[in-house]
Amino acid sequence: MDNRFFFVIGDILVCLIVGSIAGWLSSLVIGVGWNMLVAMILAMALGMLIGGLLFFPLGMLFGAMEVMLPAMLTGMISGMVLGMWSTMESINQLSGLGYGAVCGLACLIIIWVTNNQIRGVQKNG
Amino acid sequence: MDNLTKAKWDKAAPTFDLMAGGGAEKRWKPFKEDLFSHMSGRILFLALGTGLDIPTFPKHKQISAIDISPKMLEVAQSRIDEYSGSINAEVMDVHELTYEDNSFDQVFTSCTFCSVPNPVDGLRSLSRVLKPGGQLFMFEHTGSKYYPFKLMMDLMTQISRKMGPDMNRNTLDNVKRAGFEIKEVNNLFLDVVKTIKATNPL
Repeated sequence: MDNRFFFVIGDILVCLIVGSIAGWLSSLVIGVGWNMLVAMILAMALGMLIGGLLFFPLGMLFGAMEVMLPAMLTGMISGMVLGMWSTMESINQLSGLGYGAVCGLACLIIIWVTNNQIRGVQKNG
Repeated sequence: MDNLTKAKWDKAAPTFDLMAGGGAEKRWKPFKEDLFSHMSGRILFLALGTGLDIPTFPKHKQISAIDISPKMLEVAQSRIDEYSGSINAEVMDVHELTYEDNSFDQVFTSCTFCSVPNPVDGLRSLSRVLKPGGQLFMFEHTGSKYYPFKLMMDLMTQISRKMGPDMNRNTLDNVKRAGFEIKEVNNLFLDVVKTIKATNPL
């Protein structure tokens, strides 16, 4: 991940925004008593779609792949967590936003750790 | 000339800088400056596009550049004029390069082989115009071999290839298949954004 202040803020904002919107929408769409597997798949797809769509405005400001992949991962995870949770109990909209944002921060950490494992120079391909 | 590809990029030219010229270019600038600082001798650059890379070129170089889209090069003209060295920009398809064999010491690409329709053929074409032992420097975004990123990039490619690039290419493998010898790969973000340094066989 980029250490420049503007991009650090950007990376955090991307995950917070996508996570909260995907979480909120998933908790809004999925109802108590839904089949958990169906809810999970639907909410993951919805979250990835949200991440993919938000990539376009956020990408103009903060980057290309460095925005797209965290946004889609965040959408997927936030949708999955809030979607499955919503089948068990009713989640109010504010909690959907808040828990979605927490999922976003968790995804940011996952991306940061993964990136540190993969990035760097490899000689001779 | 691949008219489908040409038409796609002609259509993208007026708004290209809006998406690519902001955050992405700022984020990638230091890596591009580092890669392009290796420029020396006779240089071919592709694809020049709207010239977003020109501010990251070292000063006072003589560069031949191509792009398949005349509309892209029209947008690039002001950046070409501002460059301290000289850039001879021509409309050309990488599959049909009109340069003589062994013309260049170095070839540079920047987010190019996500869009070339037949990447291995395109790279073989570069191999032909590069001198034996000549260097290939690439700044590229590629697909990922890691899940779930691979899945995401495969999905996004279904949308992105209609407007511009593929996001799931295995460019490193394509470079090897075209006969180049890989010298260094530097993963800048995951295994997706990277620089590749390779040489043409002697």
